[in-house]
Amino acid sequence: MANRIIDRMDALKAANEKAFITYITAGLPDMEHTAQIVKAQEGLTDVIELGIPFSDPTADGPVIQQASYEAILGGASLKKSFALVEKLRADGVKMPLVFMMYYNTITSYGIEAFVKECNRAGVDGLIVPDLPFEEQEDLNNALAANDATILIQLVSPVSKDRIPMILENAKGFVYCVSSMGVTGQAADFHKEVLNYLSYVKENSKIPVMMGFGIRTAKDIEPMANIIDGAIVGTHFINLMRENDFKAETAKEYASTFKSDINKL
Amino acid sequence: MNSKAYYGEYGGQYVSESLMNTLDEIDKAFEEAIRDPEFMAQYHYYLKQYVGRETPLYLAERLSEKYGTKIYLKREDLNHTGAHKINNVLGQILLAKRMGKTKIIAETGAGQHGVAAATGAALFNMECTVYMGKEDVARQALNVMRMEMLGAKVVAVESGSNTLKDATNEAIRTWAKTAEDTFYIIGSAVGPHPYPKMVKEFQAVISREAKKQHFEVEGRLPDVVMACIGGGSNCIGMFADFIDEPSVQLIGVEAAGKGVDTDEHAASMAKGRPGVLHGSRSYLLQDEDGNIQLAHSISAGLDYPGVGPEHAYLHDTGRAQYVPITDVEAMDALMELTRMEGIIPAIESAHAMAYAFKKAKEMTPDQSMIVCLSGRGDKDVNTISNYLAGKGYLN
Repeated sequence: MANRIIDRMDALKAANEKAFITYITAGLPDMEHTAQIVKAQEGLTDVIELGIPFSDPTADGPVIQQASYEAILGGASLKKSFALVEKLRADGVKMPLVFMMYYNTITSYGIEAFVKECNRAGVDGLIVPDLPFEEQEDLNNALAANDATILIQLVSPVSKDRIPMILENAKGFVYCVSSMGVTGQAADFHKEVLNYLSYVKENSKIPVMMGFGIRTAKDIEPMANIIDGAIVGTHFINLMRENDFKAETAKEYASTFKSDINKL
Repeated sequence: MNSKAYYGEYGGQYVSESLMNTLDEIDKAFEEAIRDPEFMAQYHYYLKQYVGRETPLYLAERLSEKYGTKIYLKREDLNHTGAHKINNVLGQILLAKRMGKTKIIAETGAGQHGVAAATGAALFNMECTVYMGKEDVARQALNVMRMEMLGAKVVAVESGSNTLKDATNEAIRTWAKTAEDTFYIIGSAVGPHPYPKMVKEFQAVISREAKKQHFEVEGRLPDVVMACIGGGSNCIGMFADFIDEPSVQLIGVEAAGKGVDTDEHAASMAKGRPGVLHGSRSYLLQDEDGNIQLAHSISAGLDYPGVGPEHAYLHDTGRAQYVPITDVEAMDALMELTRMEGIIPAIESAHAMAYAFKKAKEMTPDQSMIVCLSGRGDKDVNTISNYLAGKGYLN
């Protein structure tokens, strides 16, 4: 079965373009704003990650923690996030959509039921930061029926000898955490990061994306010839917050980043 | 799936990829250390000379007479720093040193584990940072002062509910960034593998001693052993050497707060369902969306929405029973132990006492039980006096 992420990655490769990926917490400040922010990026941003709010986001820094907390207080949930995706698809949104979420949200819903609902609503991929390679079997078994929804693999600078194992059957793209720890840290790239990214790239059959600490296309200049794209999360949330979650801001930012990243 | 990380379907290693190599290193270092006679000799040296072990197994005479069965108390309250927490801290800090780490971090709710960690850090000259929810920092000012006197830095965590689970989240985040030189000392029988196994290993001294001490007096095994349970460290320590003795009944006593049928309790076995938090799969208090719910107990040390994975397994297999005790029942038992035996227990431990009195009624005079008196009540005097003022006990 076709998958929108895989299709988009193939298209970018054919056009020799880099990918641009954004992250926004679903339901911040409400689902209607989230829908507008997603729609505004159609044709610009290559993949959108929707953060499903969770009470105890241990892989996130203060900005996404706060976003998650506010979204929960505002009534956001996995069920409402499924409804959001369903509505976006009904409104003709074709871009790949990924859920970034914690594993308890999945097990609480029921793994089988969750995967079915992802397939049905039009969720193309999953990023689960507290589900390392060794614990993925149950989710992978449920996903295996088709490729409508795929699990995106994460690697970190300290993954080292684990990288070939993690990448062997990875699908879609690889998410490279650019620094140790949690989302939203300052851009602090050094030689070791370049070596790490090169090692991931050498071992990967699929595109390699870098996330954590990126604000502008210029931030990835030092590794532009290694990686295939960039993921912006914390900065994107700050930007949206500073601009009252206006869809127009999302559109301008995506348009600038996407054009700049392909000039690197 | 890494099968050695599991107790049945519970446990595992649900952490970010950046911690997986760290866990592997700790696992290997731990397995080597506990097979190294020199390491274990060092650990036992500090337990004896610094902590003051072994702790007594005291036959509570007046209570035994009143309730018609032999009630033995395993006196973990007599340990240095006032509770069982130090047993585990010393084991983990010696392991941290062996691994070449120079800094330790810890989470704490009531502050007992934080104080024990700060104590160990002072003893071994290591830098120590303790994460504590902002609410708890305010409620447990005395323990904050003790930690700071001992040289630890106390970070007031402001996120989510500002309590123990949020402090644990923040400790995990910091650990993921600093694991190269920093060892995370988890205080309860929770967390990703190998933590639940490590905590059990370093608390097992409780049941090892108790079994021997009981045998010396009674010439046989006890009929029942019992302990209070939040995350489950004193409880797994009290169970450890009795799990393979089928004649011994194992009972863990959860905090029922204002009652298991209210929204304010910490009874994750009685009212929770399996889920994943803080690195492992176990019973959790959670809402229909899978968000973790706030626990409530008058005892800060039992105020946690989850429970260690081995306890979940012992629960499901029926090897151990887990029962709830309310705030009121615990406080009544606290006063009874205080007045009848001259021992002021921690409110946590008073939960186990409360169920001991219930259980004793089904037992005969020649039977015996061991109750783990996990900590002393000094830290709780403010809570106790506020409670009693409201109830009029001491007036």
